[in-house]
Amino acid sequence: MASSNRLARSLLLVLRVALGAVFLYAAWTKLREPWPIFAMAIDAYGVLPERAVMVVARTLPWAELAIGLLLIAGLWRRVATPAASLVLLLFFGLMVRAYAQGKQIDCGCFGLGEAISWRTLLRDGSLLAGSLLLTLVSLRGGRNNA
Amino acid sequence: MSMKLYAVALAAVLPCLAAMPEVDKGKTLGSPSAPITIEVFSDFTCPHCKLLHDQTVPLLMKDYVVQGKVYLVSRDFPLNGPGHQYSREAFSYADAAARIGKYQAVADALYANQAAWAINGKVWDTVAAALSPADQKRVQTLAKDPGVAAEIQRELEEGTAAGVNSTPTLIVSAGIRRYPLPAPISYTFLRSLLDGLLK
Repeated sequence: MASSNRLARSLLLVLRVALGAVFLYAAWTKLREPWPIFAMAIDAYGVLPERAVMVVARTLPWAELAIGLLLIAGLWRRVATPAASLVLLLFFGLMVRAYAQGKQIDCGCFGLGEAISWRTLLRDGSLLAGSLLLTLVSLRGGRNNA
Repeated sequence: MSMKLYAVALAAVLPCLAAMPEVDKGKTLGSPSAPITIEVFSDFTCPHCKLLHDQTVPLLMKDYVVQGKVYLVSRDFPLNGPGHQYSREAFSYADAAARIGKYQAVADALYANQAAWAINGKVWDTVAAALSPADQKRVQTLAKDPGVAAEIQRELEEGTAAGVNSTPTLIVSAGIRRYPLPAPISYTFLRSLLDGLLK
């Protein structure tokens, strides 16, 4: 019983660190390029006015960076994991919508050059599922889990 | 030591050289010494390319090309499949026209009448309307030159190698920095990008 608990906690730790690393990588790919590049990727989804696109393009990569660091460090889990889930849920929802509309646009997940496809949907869907699991565990299980 | 320095310098310069392959001057606008180069990979049969040509390119011309800040290069990226069957024919006339300095006139005519010739296949009628009788003869002759077909294929391959997989795609180059921008391209953000690169 104790060993299976330890295994579950180890797996959750690996999941949290891996998710944190994905957020750090996503932030890095956006911050290394001028912000209008990411703005164009957001704008292609056609859901936000230009002013809002500008704000999101300039702030979201920093939010991803903060979430990634918190997830890896294991700090503020009750804030970091729901925040990660929220970001992933938003991205995934927009990607599914664009894919369903037949839009041939870049997903904007990790910089430019990656068009939305079933592969990107599968990848982001898996990340979302993992993030939701971490959120559930961190909100229900207190500070010792996830 | 000097060999090491030379190698480092060469490594820094090589991406710049690779960034701008040889291109027909007739397909360019502005000064080659401009700090920013924008390569426009497009297809005359693509509706988004027509939008870019009609709406964004005139703004780019006014704000950046005329002022010597941007060197604009048209690159061929013929598409395949339904709706694009006359694409290569259109490029062959446009590239032939570039050799006598009439590329822009032919490109304007092709985009203006895209909805018609892309369906009925009367590409030459569209091109001819933009040229004098003497130029028509020269373009018809040049279009049969195997070098023109080779140029179209070479630019398609260069675009593919650069990561272009849809049209229009803009590749913005400033020094060693190179940004491929697929459609849709907002002029507001393109302007922000260019202004940032020019600082």
